[in-house]
Amino acid sequence: MSTRCYWLAGFLLVAAGCSRGPKLVNEVVAVETTRLPEGPRDRTWRDAPEHRAALLVQDLVEPRLMAPSTPEVAVRALTNGAEIVFRLEWPDAGADDMPGPARMVDACAVQLPETIEPDLPDPQMGQEGRLVEIAYWRADWQAWVNGRGDTIRDLYPNASIDHYPFQAKPLEPGSAAARELERLYSPALAAGNLRAGPRKTPVESLIATGPGTLSSAATQNATGQGVFEKGRWSVVIRRPLPKGLGRDQRTHVAFAVWQGSNQEAGARKMRTGWIPLVRRAGS
Amino acid sequence: MARVYNWQIGREMSYWYPEARPRRQFAAVFDINKCIACQTCTLACKTTWTSGKGQEYMLWNNVETKPYGSYPLAYDVKLLELLGGQEWDGNRYAGRTLFEAAPAGERVLGWHPTGEDYAFPNAGEDDCAGQVDHGEFFALPHARWFFYLARICNHCTYPACLASCPRGSIYKRPEDGIVLVDQGRCRGYQECVKGCPYKKVFYNPLTGTSEKCIACFPKIEQGIQPQCFVNCIGKIRLAGWISTPDKARPDNPIDYLVHIRKVALPLFPQFGLEPNVYYIPPVHAPDAFNRQLFGAGAPQAVRTYREAARDADLAGLLCLFGSTEMVVARFRRQGEIIIGADEKGAEVVRVPLREPVVVRPARDPHTQIVRINCP
Ligand code: SF4
Ligand code: SF4
Repeated sequence: MSTRCYWLAGFLLVAAGCSRGPKLVNEVVAVETTRLPEGPRDRTWRDAPEHRAALLVQDLVEPRLMAPSTPEVAVRALTNGAEIVFRLEWPDAGADDMPGPARMVDACAVQLPETIEPDLPDPQMGQEGRLVEIAYWRADWQAWVNGRGDTIRDLYPNASIDHYPFQAKPLEPGSAAARELERLYSPALAAGNLRAGPRKTPVESLIATGPGTLSSAATQNATGQGVFEKGRWSVVIRRPLPKGLGRDQRTHVAFAVWQGSNQEAGARKMRTGWIPLVRRAGS
Repeated sequence: MARVYNWQIGREMSYWYPEARPRRQFAAVFDINKCIACQTCTLACKTTWTSGKGQEYMLWNNVETKPYGSYPLAYDVKLLELLGGQEWDGNRYAGRTLFEAAPAGERVLGWHPTGEDYAFPNAGEDDCAGQVDHGEFFALPHARWFFYLARICNHCTYPACLASCPRGSIYKRPEDGIVLVDQGRCRGYQECVKGCPYKKVFYNPLTGTSEKCIACFPKIEQGIQPQCFVNCIGKIRLAGWISTPDKARPDNPIDYLVHIRKVALPLFPQFGLEPNVYYIPPVHAPDAFNRQLFGAGAPQAVRTYREAARDADLAGLLCLFGSTEMVVARFRRQGEIIIGADEKGAEVVRVPLREPVVVRPARDPHTQIVRINCP
């Protein structure tokens, strides 16, 4: 950093100190509200205190992340008694939302135990017979939802394509037969893999009973929205409130963040252990 | 890691999972000396399996011009360099396999190709042929030689792709040893792309899953050879089943070429995957290069192949390549006739050891016109 930058940084710190910073709490507090925010910039988030969770490297199972990347994730939560919304924020030098060979994308996830109980499943994706529920957001899914097309030219603008069989005569463009052939040439889509795009929501509901067991949940009930601004991702993830989580009651929650630019995907991630999650009345 | 036996390197080695050989193993022999680099195989595969969105850059089958051609770019030399020295002690590999050389935190020693690495298939192909428009890009540091290396997935006995996947989305079918990515289960972590030394798994950025050669399993299940085999113009390919060396059958074409005559060899056996596509090495490449690609037995394989003209069984079996659509599981020779059969011994094809050659006079005395004789 140059001397001038130090000056600038100092000024910004003073300026930040003048405005009211978030109220910090040492657990995740889901504040009751009547209206849940749709996006991360909604004013309602001001009513929620912030928990800053330190992130740990995933170094328990191969392949591991060998060096720490994202240091922490700032979390707020709100609930309307039926659903709960988390907002995760973390610093990132740039948005990575273009998938491709060796091009990983930014992502984050929220994990909760299936049931509220004092004896928690393993925080690392649960364990056999002890299921965890995961809501997973990805930057490339967000880009689709925001309107990016699903052609190779949307990812590689200079790609040249001779021809696709489903665009050849005698098939009528856009006809049911053409669409069906296109689906058959997308094996993951044809196999019904929810991970395959294009997706209508940037969040997938998943379950796991230990590392390597992650699978799509039977009911897809999570949604969300992510925004990248000024070197920071802000992502909201909305899902049903854990069953039985009454006012002032606790369960637990864990988070994970993937930095695409650091080749993070799957097991290569930064994550937290279990963090208490409490529901409180709004002020 | 488990201890498993890899006959190609003549020793036990470490692998992520215990040894679990399939009931039978899909295998192939490619005779490099007959490939003309027409890329018909590449297109046969492309039009059958990878014409979809997100598959544009994928070549499950590719043909590269060695020593420089490659796809993705320098896939082989990058890994050879990462692995370091690869010494053989006779037929026993004395160096480290990719599983044994895995760095801390990794399951396999690998590297991850980028989009650019896929953007120049077979770069360097013309330099070794000495036919570059506007002059060559670099001066060869050796005498001019080249050959065409056709490559598909090796449906390895110890697949690095399978070992790399942290969620078990890749499986090896017990009924035929074909290695597949479960498209319903894959989540696109690309660990397999990084782990496969042959770079035969490809990430589809539009479906978000990794895809690979499926050995045309719907055809194999019906006893028919894959698309890149039956469309091969040079008739360089033969698909079949390989036994372990102790169970080798002299009437099994693959066993005969690999185990008995030792004329067909695996590609980069030192990586430790026990790949199941076997190559008859190119007779014009230097021994040292052949040894690096095909292991210690390469010079002897070249000598055996050069003698094939005086060896009716070997020459006869080579005549069965490209002679039928069906998988030839057994063969036998009756004098000048070679008979290919299915696993139950039922005949599927017969070919002569020597094709009858007829040379007609250029001028047809009957019609009084000049004809062209084509072989
Ligand atoms: S060649 Fe590569 S993709 Fe094919 S089975 Fe072996 S490791 Fe897997
Ligand atoms: S079709 Fe046969 S001869 Fe032509 S490039 Fe492929 S392997 Fe070689």
